[in-house]
Amino acid sequence: MKKGKITVAITITITCFALTTVMFMQFKIVKETDITSIETMREEELRTELANWKQLYNEADEQYQEKSEKLKEYREKQQSTEESTKLIEKELSQIDMYLGKTEVQGEGIIINIKDINNDEEIPPISAEDLLVIVDYLKLAGAEAISINEQRIVNMSDIVYVNNSIIYVNQQRILAPYVINAIGDSVTLESTLLGNGGYVETLKNIGFEVDIQRQNKVIIPKYNKEIGHKYIQ
Amino acid sequence: MTNKKIISLVLGIMCFALTAGICIQVKTVNNTNSKVSKNYEQNNLRAEVLKYKEKYDNLLRELEEIDEQLLKEIDKAAANNSELEESNKKIIEGNKVIGLSEVNGTGVIITISDSEIDQNSVLDSSDLLVHDKDILKIVNELKNAGAEAISINGQRVILTTSIVCGGNIININGEKIGSPFEIKAIGLPETLANLNRPGGFLNYLQEERKLKVNLKKDNNVNIPKYAGVLNFKHIKRDK
Repeated sequence: MKKGKITVAITITITCFALTTVMFMQFKIVKETDITSIETMREEELRTELANWKQLYNEADEQYQEKSEKLKEYREKQQSTEESTKLIEKELSQIDMYLGKTEVQGEGIIINIKDINNDEEIPPISAEDLLVIVDYLKLAGAEAISINEQRIVNMSDIVYVNNSIIYVNQQRILAPYVINAIGDSVTLESTLLGNGGYVETLKNIGFEVDIQRQNKVIIPKYNKEIGHKYIQ
Repeated sequence: MTNKKIISLVLGIMCFALTAGICIQVKTVNNTNSKVSKNYEQNNLRAEVLKYKEKYDNLLRELEEIDEQLLKEIDKAAANNSELEESNKKIIEGNKVIGLSEVNGTGVIITISDSEIDQNSVLDSSDLLVHDKDILKIVNELKNAGAEAISINGQRVILTTSIVCGGNIININGEKIGSPFEIKAIGLPETLANLNRPGGFLNYLQEERKLKVNLKKDNNVNIPKYAGVLNFKHIKRDK
């Protein structure tokens, strides 16, 4: 009788152990699949993501080739002061372009916005409207932007003073507003137009906005000194 | 005899519970498995995305190396020529302003995150979230206050940086960024801290929108360089 009880007890323990182990294993599998399902994006999202990374990669590759070439040139022309002077001047001119210190031109769009005056229901174009348009232009890959001849550089601000006067680069600007942007003209235009586009929204409110695609848009240089005191 | 009955009853219940547990688990696993296999195409896509991301990261590292070598070459070329020395200095300083090199300096650090109050207690719960326009405005105000370099969650704000939302996250330099946001700016700390003034935009976000906002001055703000590639294709350089 006693021996039989022990056998039963042992059998039950083993069974319980086995069952519990199986359960834990199952838990683990579920957890693992959960992690991958978090990473799961919808197919469409994945496709845009892939296109995005491909484009970034291609751009980086292009620049890599360009810079390798440049490096080779430097090494070859090291002996000649005249040649290396030329190379360095070229480098500097590129930096100046990125800084906004030079007048530039290229394919792009010109946006004309007429303001509405003396309408009690529609508030006039605000600094924020212009700020958002500039932000969307940057999203669409604009390489240079100006508002009423004020070049937008990295640290350019667009502010509203007393809720009525717009300042760009600490310079007052007045309506009508003319925004020039250099970049792929189709992308620039389509980002602002169409459903949800900011210019479309302004048009729906009642503003007169007109976008022209052009092969040659000229954007003036930043007309102030670009200095820095605090960055090291 | 009753003792034995109780024992077998307990054992019976235990076995039943365990088996039920296993059955549920097996079913869940089966479900997820079928979902995964349905998404076979997506898995491929995901692998492809990861592959390109990795390739891109590697290329960026190589680019960084080449940039360093280029600077060294310029240094070498400029070493014996005072005129070139001047140009070299301009290149180095220019890179800092553009955002192509890491910078340090005095400034402020602003942290801002979604509100923690109950969504049901307000009329418009979207007020309780940090939006792209909020970040855009803060950055614009920092620029107005004379900031010389700005980063958002480690992403340097450069000439081409747009701040646009995509669903629940904000896209900055192609990276997806969510709350909490940490905005660093280098400039005169006292002027930059002016963003915190009563009636100012930060104040509005804190008081009206109930967002969690904090601004602190810092004597050593570190702002990384732009992590991507600056490559202009549409500007014609004919001069």
